Amino acid sequence: MIFLSEYIYYIGAFSLIFIGLYIVLVKKNLIKVIIGLSILDTGINLFLITLGYIREGTAPVFSKPGLNADKMVDPVPQALVLTAIVIGVAVLALAVSLAVKLYKHYGTLNLRKIKEQKW
Amino acid sequence: MVNPVLLIVIPLGLAFAVPFFGFISKKIEKFIPFVALLFNLIVSLRLFPQVLEQPIHVSIGGFTPPFGINLVAGPVGILFTAIIALVGFLVSIYAFDYIKEKDQEKYHILYLLLLTGATGVVLTGDIFNLFVFFEILCISSYSLVAYFGDKAGIESAVKYLIQGALGSSFILIGIGLLYGRFGTLNIADIASNINSVHSISIFVPLVLLITGFGVEAAIFPLNAWLPDAHSSAPSSISAILSGIVIEVGLYAMVRVVFTLFGASSVLNFLLFLGLITLLVGELCAFNQENIKRMLAYSSIGQIGLIVFALSIASSSGITGGLFQLVSHTLGKALLFLAAGYMVYRSGSMNISSFEGMGKKMPYTSLAFTIGAFSIVGLPPFIGFPGKFMIIKAALFKQEILFIVLVFFILLATIIEGAYFFRVVQVIYFKGGKGTLIPKREIAPISVLIPIFIFVGLIVVIGIYPKLITDVLELSASELLNRADYIKSVLP
Repeated sequence: MIFLSEYIYYIGAFSLIFIGLYIVLVKKNLIKVIIGLSILDTGINLFLITLGYIREGTAPVFSKPGLNADKMVDPVPQALVLTAIVIGVAVLALAVSLAVKLYKHYGTLNLRKIKEQKW
Repeated sequence: MVNPVLLIVIPLGLAFAVPFFGFISKKIEKFIPFVALLFNLIVSLRLFPQVLEQPIHVSIGGFTPPFGINLVAGPVGILFTAIIALVGFLVSIYAFDYIKEKDQEKYHILYLLLLTGATGVVLTGDIFNLFVFFEILCISSYSLVAYFGDKAGIESAVKYLIQGALGSSFILIGIGLLYGRFGTLNIADIASNINSVHSISIFVPLVLLITGFGVEAAIFPLNAWLPDAHSSAPSSISAILSGIVIEVGLYAMVRVVFTLFGASSVLNFLLFLGLITLLVGELCAFNQENIKRMLAYSSIGQIGLIVFALSIASSSGITGGLFQLVSHTLGKALLFLAAGYMVYRSGSMNISSFEGMGKKMPYTSLAFTIGAFSIVGLPPFIGFPGKFMIIKAALFKQEILFIVLVFFILLATIIEGAYFFRVVQVIYFKGGKGTLIPKREIAPISVLIPIFIFVGLIVVIGIYPKLITDVLELSASELLNRADYIKSVLP
């Protein structure tokens, strides 16, 4: 049980990552694939946050007396996640707008049926 | 001294200024990329002599590394910056007349963003910053592939986006694992501590980063997007994708393998991967009827050859690989530009529609032929010294394994020759028999200028390779001596 409570965030993050990967690799519908990418992104963001998280920690305010460095949450992963979220939004927005165009051209979102380009 | 930050800031700022210039006049929009990249080209060439003596370091915001984000303008960085600026500049001239349809301002914004991202990747000294610039590069290239909005373009952009987004996710997980292990994002700082931990715990991030960058660099099992994306993008963008984007992916991979991890144990694996990529690319190219697809598969083959040369990991091998990289950038950009204009005129991408082009468009056909000969590796063009140096470096290893591998490289070159000569034969010697001499359609001057500058560079460097080999040798030594890199960033 101690193991579980210690590593629960890592377990959750990697479960999300693998669920996302599974959806992207297996699902046929483009919208579902995009949802998979979104879940994958969320998993990675959770993982990055967990790297710097300390239970019952606070923001790194150095001017506060009586606050030790080992009780401060690492702020760098949070900055990384902020950037990663923005990048993820850009990719997903582009993907969804491409899906709209794809549907206009082919009348379907089933990726197995869209194969004009091949090796 | 010019600050290397300007190499990133000026194109980035001008990219978002394009719509504002559009308020003044729609006609000046297309000159913005031209101006920005001319600036980059001049600055990077002016920085060259200084960088060759000592790398320039810039810490952004005054935080000294390993704390802030830093830029490292070493020989490799400035070499790549100069190549990006040169090719981007010439292709922006080509786009004056080539890009006529739809919203031109979007094209120019995305084009500048793509090149900003590429410049940022090669200059940065921070692994997460590298990821951010890499994403700028990727997102703008996804949307540029779909620029025409036609059936093929959208389909290949979707494929490219899904594969690229998966690759980027792997990179981010890898960076997260590295940060968790070392608590820093500075490449030099991670590199100096990488030997202090057990090799199993850095194996996973290494694999994730190689896979992630390998998607963009189109290494064999990860290159399914490339032929579609390169063949359905506008030709000016195909030239950039083939000449810059995959090279930047390759740069990121090489930087990770050589500098960040110093992982000599994966080099043998990369050697075989490169060779397989080479053979698969050339064999697929041989089968194609579509000219742009053929060129795209040929790019895969060339990338395989470059990966092979870099994985030899001797000074002469890396120099040869970088030389081949420069030659591929110039040659393939030229081929895509020339073929793009011929496709534009003939209205079809089928090779058989090029019959009689040698008489109809003599200058463009000549340029295409020179590009094709250079990629195959005929003297006196730039492709010859590149391949020669790679084979010499491989034979210099004096191992049976390398002699066998060289045999495969030569075999691939024969295949390459076969399909390129077939196109040249169609252009010059097929069709037009018994009919009147077709009317000449000379391409506009904005198309001919960049094409002939490429031809000039290919011939001049091909005849006198010493022009760039000194720079390449210094770049090779920067990649090989990671201790020097670490010492120069963290004094």
